[in-house]
Amino acid sequence: MKKWLKENWEGYLFLTPWLIGLLVFTIIPILTSLYLSFTRYNILTTPEFIGVDNYFRMLSDKDFIQSLKVTFKFVFLSVPLRMSFALLIAMLLNRKIRGLRFYRAVYYVPSLLGGSVAISILWRQLFNREGLLNQFLSIFKIEGLNWIATPSTALYTLIILLVWQFGSSMLIFLAALKQVPEDLYDAAKIDGASKLRQFTNITLPMITPMVLFNLIMTMINAFQSFTPAFIISNGTGGPVGSTLLYSLYLYKRGFTFFEMGYASALAWILLILIAIFTAIIFWTSGKWVYYEG
Amino acid sequence: MKKNVILIISITVLLSLFAASGVFAQEDDITISFTWWGDTDRHEIYNSIVDMFEEEYPNIKVERPFGSWNQYWDKLATQIAGGNAPDVVGMHQRFVSDYAPRGALLDLQEYVDSGVLDLSHVPDSVKEGGVVNGNLYMVAQGVTTTGYMYNTKTFDDLGVEYPNMDWTYEEFAAKAREVQAVAEEQGREIWGVGDDSTLFMPQFAYFARSKGEEVYTNDGKLGFTQETVEEWFNYWKELRDDGVIPDMATTVEYTSAPLEQNLFTTQKTAIGTVPANQLWLYQEQFSEGKINIVRMPHFADGRPGEYIEGSYLAVTSGSDHPEAAARLISFFINDSEAQQLFMLEQGVPPTTTAQERISDKLTPVQQRIIDFVSYTLEIAEKSAYPPSGSTEVTSEFEEVAQAVGFGSMTPAEGAEEFMSSAEEILARNR
Amino acid sequence: MKIKKYINEKLFIHIFIILFGFIMIYPLLWMLSSSFKPSQEIFNSISFFPQDFTLENYFIGWEGISGYTFRIFFTNSFIITFAVVIGTLISSSMAAFAFSKLDFAFKNVFFVIMLGTLMLPYHVKLIPQYILFNYLGWINTFLPLTVPRFFAVHGFFVFLLVQYMRTIPNEIMESAEIDGANTLQIYWSLIMPLSVPALITSGILTFIWTWNDFFTQLIYLNNVTKFTVSVALRMFVDATSGSSWGAMFSMSILSLTPLFIIFIFFQRYIIQGITAGSVKG
Repeated sequence: MKKWLKENWEGYLFLTPWLIGLLVFTIIPILTSLYLSFTRYNILTTPEFIGVDNYFRMLSDKDFIQSLKVTFKFVFLSVPLRMSFALLIAMLLNRKIRGLRFYRAVYYVPSLLGGSVAISILWRQLFNREGLLNQFLSIFKIEGLNWIATPSTALYTLIILLVWQFGSSMLIFLAALKQVPEDLYDAAKIDGASKLRQFTNITLPMITPMVLFNLIMTMINAFQSFTPAFIISNGTGGPVGSTLLYSLYLYKRGFTFFEMGYASALAWILLILIAIFTAIIFWTSGKWVYYEG
Repeated sequence: MKKNVILIISITVLLSLFAASGVFAQEDDITISFTWWGDTDRHEIYNSIVDMFEEEYPNIKVERPFGSWNQYWDKLATQIAGGNAPDVVGMHQRFVSDYAPRGALLDLQEYVDSGVLDLSHVPDSVKEGGVVNGNLYMVAQGVTTTGYMYNTKTFDDLGVEYPNMDWTYEEFAAKAREVQAVAEEQGREIWGVGDDSTLFMPQFAYFARSKGEEVYTNDGKLGFTQETVEEWFNYWKELRDDGVIPDMATTVEYTSAPLEQNLFTTQKTAIGTVPANQLWLYQEQFSEGKINIVRMPHFADGRPGEYIEGSYLAVTSGSDHPEAAARLISFFINDSEAQQLFMLEQGVPPTTTAQERISDKLTPVQQRIIDFVSYTLEIAEKSAYPPSGSTEVTSEFEEVAQAVGFGSMTPAEGAEEFMSSAEEILARNR
Repeated sequence: MKIKKYINEKLFIHIFIILFGFIMIYPLLWMLSSSFKPSQEIFNSISFFPQDFTLENYFIGWEGISGYTFRIFFTNSFIITFAVVIGTLISSSMAAFAFSKLDFAFKNVFFVIMLGTLMLPYHVKLIPQYILFNYLGWINTFLPLTVPRFFAVHGFFVFLLVQYMRTIPNEIMESAEIDGANTLQIYWSLIMPLSVPALITSGILTFIWTWNDFFTQLIYLNNVTKFTVSVALRMFVDATSGSSWGAMFSMSILSLTPLFIIFIFFQRYIIQGITAGSVKG
């Protein structure tokens, strides 16, 4: 024992803050929330054990189902779009052009600022009735809708906002593209491969590990999106639940109606959903991700 | 050695003197907090009254975090749950059942008995308004009812007769149609009235009550039928389809608009709903014309839908200084200067003394307010307080009404959807 | 012919990049220019340049609401953000040092756990954390927003620092040990100075993320006096009438300015930080 202590104490000493954090702010909360998900709890009184009622409630909770629909639509539209733009622009910037740093900065800035309340406010003003988009359309004599207040279009403003922030993904792709060895391209050129073939047979395969990483992180973040939906819909998820992202719904249940037991159950379902989709992507990645060596 | 001892002793004495004076200064100094909802004008009035209170009681300092109506109730719930709610809070009968039965508010009777909270000039009927489940939880700041307002100038310009004080729902729809049609002929785009189909309380409440039904029964259940809800949605759908009222997207857009920017103030609608006590705020927005108020419509073969509404003040149960809090409330409604500053901010004042003191200070619009509230109070009946979960029912109603307005549900479907949701919500909260 | 095609292609790409980039940036530029226009002009004229250039929006906006000026909000944001940066740097570097340079039992297990926390949605920790802070009486203080950060709860920065520290040759450590330095000295006087680039990156990214944070600030701060810029902006939006768009934009611009300044000066670090986590080695 003493020997073990002597050999390991330093490591643990430096690890202590993180260990405490892990225990107090991660592990215990996770376990607690699992417990709470089986209770009815409104913070003013003590938790009341109700078994799996919360989970059953979800099945018939139309707001829950709505938030799932909205969130899935949001994630599975915005993530691929964002990846595509990121890759496209990264490809275009991956060459020796003057002002590269400047362009790179320009495309990155939205990503830097995008998560803020200020940008969400701006977005509201872009897409409402007198907003910038409609001002622009009026030049062509098109009368725009109130994009924010119309159920069929409100979510798209959020999607556009997420896609607009593709800059950070673009940076990752740029770094990945730079890592593709030049000699591969040289060899291909000698063989007479066209630009397109070079792209599909060299570039794409070589960056697939990065695509995988980027895809997963972006997807996980998209599932948790909160601030824009909250600001743009003014906390309602409206109109008519069209912007009711999962995080927003969880917030409503937990912090507006104080149904903390139910909100905990919602949190666990989200965790499970994210885990499932991440696993799916990983399992299918074997087919399309190319690891060198 | 001796020098050190003297040094130590003197330091100790000095320190304890400091400590003692600190303690002294703090002994009587209390800080309480008071929160309310409103806009800029109202904030100034409240702040002035609280300033006066602080002058009268120099050892009590009052912090004033306040918010807009939208955020107020969210914040309050969080704060009460967190145990750091303000001591004195603005309270409304629509929400009191979310707080009082859960033990979040203090029973004020003991402060009335001890004389700290002076309710001697408050008529019994008004006092009754603050009683929930047999306990006195809140004190009225003002009593009011809801009606519809219009601008005389708008109607004069259009050449349309003013609405009737006691109009029926038929006449209401007809008048809205008339206004819109006449305006269109004249080349102006004015909607007859705003789309109030999403407003559960008090607009739908009046509708249901006028039919002899209730919003909530005394034992906390829904007091109206699905047919009534369907009729309500249909009523407004017809107006919407004919372009008499705004499309739902516009209505949604203006939902969170502040008073200065809403559909009535910007003259996009000719008639708008208004709690009587706010009439003067609207009058201030218009440089031309009188803003008059008429009753909410009723059914010719039904009863009046009016019920007593008001705003109240309550003390949260977690308050560290309940007595100071009760004192603030007492000052608020009884102090002569405060009364004259407050005027009709939340409706007809709760005390007879206030009513007397302000009676000769009333501007024409304020006189109209008092006349209207007095008139409607006579036909109003007490309504059961909404039970726990009513907040959610209200927002559910709004969502369903919006869906109907956007056409994604028919009125019949909407009514069915709402009824089952509302029942589920109430059952869950029982 | 080929050269012409080549130049055309290059030109085309250039134009596309510029044009598309301009469209991307335009909303920001619009907000910037609108903040210098009187409110009525914002929605009435399409012209980009203000016809009536004015600074009044900034003065009005700064006043905030009913006596609570943005000075309070900016101060709060700065306090919280700086505390978080310090806490994060200290605790994350300690853990990173342990993972990358020290040996101890279960090291790999813990490392994997740390990686796992990167993918955990915050929702599952949220409510119990709220309950805990409620129990401690920390609601409506800065504590819930700052204290956890002193315990390296955001694994990303541990990961980032580990990646960097691994590139520091172990020989340096060994020779220091031979010279009689203990582990603490090695950490503080050797590894930390060598890790400055990664520390800067972590600090900056932490600053950006914390400055923009909204959700946790929303639920833990109830009193107007404690509001940060994010929460204040939202309250501002609610309470202002439509005629104050200018003021709202001006405060929005102001809230984005620190981020922008950091970006201008530390662009290199930010980009390294983002790519560090993803690129192998």
